[in-house]
Amino acid sequence: MLAVLRQVIWRRRIGLIWWSLGTAAMAALLAVAYPTVRNNSELDKTFAGLPPGVQAALGLAPGSLLTSPAGYLNSQYFANILPLMLLVFGIGLAAWAIGGDESAGTLELLLANPVSRLRVAVERAGALLLLVGFLAVLASATLLVLAPSSGLTDGISAGHIVEASAASALLALTFAALTFALGAATGSRSMAIAVSSALAMAGFVIEGIAAQVPALRPVRELSPWHWMLGSNPLQNGLQWHWWLLPVAATVLFVSLGVARFRVRDLH
Amino acid sequence: MAAGTAPAIATQKVTKRFGKLTAVNELTIEVLAGQVVGFLGPNGAGKTTAMRMLMGFIRPTSGRATILGGQPARDVALRRQIGYLPGDFRMDSAMSGRDLFAWFGHLRGGLNRARVNDLTDRLRLDASRPYRDLSKGNRQKIGLVQAFMHDPQVLILDEPTTGLDPLIQKEFLGLVREAAERGAAVLFSTHVLPEVERIADAVAIIRAGRLVALSPVNDLLDRARHRLEFRFSAPITKSLFDGVPGVVEVEVNGQTATIAVDGPVDKAVRAALNGPTLIRVGSAGDELEDLFLTMYGSGQETV
Repeated sequence: MLAVLRQVIWRRRIGLIWWSLGTAAMAALLAVAYPTVRNNSELDKTFAGLPPGVQAALGLAPGSLLTSPAGYLNSQYFANILPLMLLVFGIGLAAWAIGGDESAGTLELLLANPVSRLRVAVERAGALLLLVGFLAVLASATLLVLAPSSGLTDGISAGHIVEASAASALLALTFAALTFALGAATGSRSMAIAVSSALAMAGFVIEGIAAQVPALRPVRELSPWHWMLGSNPLQNGLQWHWWLLPVAATVLFVSLGVARFRVRDLH
Repeated sequence: MAAGTAPAIATQKVTKRFGKLTAVNELTIEVLAGQVVGFLGPNGAGKTTAMRMLMGFIRPTSGRATILGGQPARDVALRRQIGYLPGDFRMDSAMSGRDLFAWFGHLRGGLNRARVNDLTDRLRLDASRPYRDLSKGNRQKIGLVQAFMHDPQVLILDEPTTGLDPLIQKEFLGLVREAAERGAAVLFSTHVLPEVERIADAVAIIRAGRLVALSPVNDLLDRARHRLEFRFSAPITKSLFDGVPGVVEVEVNGQTATIAVDGPVDKAVRAALNGPTLIRVGSAGDELEDLFLTMYGSGQETV
């Protein structure tokens, strides 16, 4: 059962240990550092002096203080560190899944076995979903264990921390699905990484400056960054349309990529 | 060829174009069960493309390529009956041979450990070391073991002896012979003529994507250009081979003469006996290019 998926995890086991440690350590650091930040009202003054656009770019929702649990978690973690970590991990794995394996000249050997291209693609996309999801769960679990003792979860429900982590995972999965699809459709790992990373970075920047530049607002509606941050899931929870959009985009990208992969020539 | 037996490996007027380049042009070849066919041709002739079409990695522009009457691209179960070695065998560098055999064995419906051990012993492969730590030859051995380990009905081997030392090459030829004896069809590509001579029943020569000859090995070798090297007890001159039928090239270096002969070597050897004492005779290797030169004159080909 799922021999292709299990091989992905087995193959990446060492890397996964490091990614897990890094993810947990980052969340732990965030929790441990909070008591110091909370009592530093100078930080609030400094940040309040920044233009609203810069504040927004830092992930600080209007009217929330950097030293408040929500302001701190959003600006230091959920608006940047966590999604970026998951993005790097997700895009890397997605680029390898078909395009990278093919560029390395190793995919063909696997496909000489009694496994269809559909199965390889679906199981590898499944591994991607599983591993990005695992890191997001690990991130929220670490926060949930360590945050209460430092007062980081005051006024924030455990459910919202999980939902904010899920929003980050969905963002990473959307771009990872794009990477996967480009690699599956073309066999080019480098192109898949270049295009999806460029779009991810563009989305990040647009989300940051759109508060200042009204002309960009229609554009950001298309951005997974806006789907993730737009409703401030840490405070409001993740509303249905904000998770439906990335899920739909992910399914669409993967389906298109797999459909092309099934019929094209391998390189 | 036995009448009424469907070919295990077949291409029927198969063509593959990549943009303006025609890599394979209306190629028709057949390999029956129990038959070994050597696939010869210069680099870029289309051998690898033809094999990858048979495997279903790329689709023919026109024509059909089938294995055991089916198409591996559509019929996944059919691939259980196929052993494939790519021309450039590569695998995950962190994996060992043992890891790969276990994984592929599982995918193919069960690993025959005894068979794998037998193969690794014969090819002298240490299957416990990761791919990245292995030499070119040892990497190639992993490729061979995974192709043979499930005793498939069809073997498609692209340049199988690349990087193998002569002893292991011999062992490989034994594996091919055994596979053919138990009824497998084998198609393998190569540059090395002696290899074909030893195991192939027939040879398919492909050039610029077209089949230029499909004949029993002996016919081909009889027509081929041979290179002989003579060493004499004293220096000689080129004139020793003047006017000898079949001799097309003579090169003399002190006491050593290297000659190229088209067809039977009989007359050339007799001529050599007229010189000083003949100390040693060797075959300087029959080059594939020589074979083409004898078969196609200048070697120019129109597509």
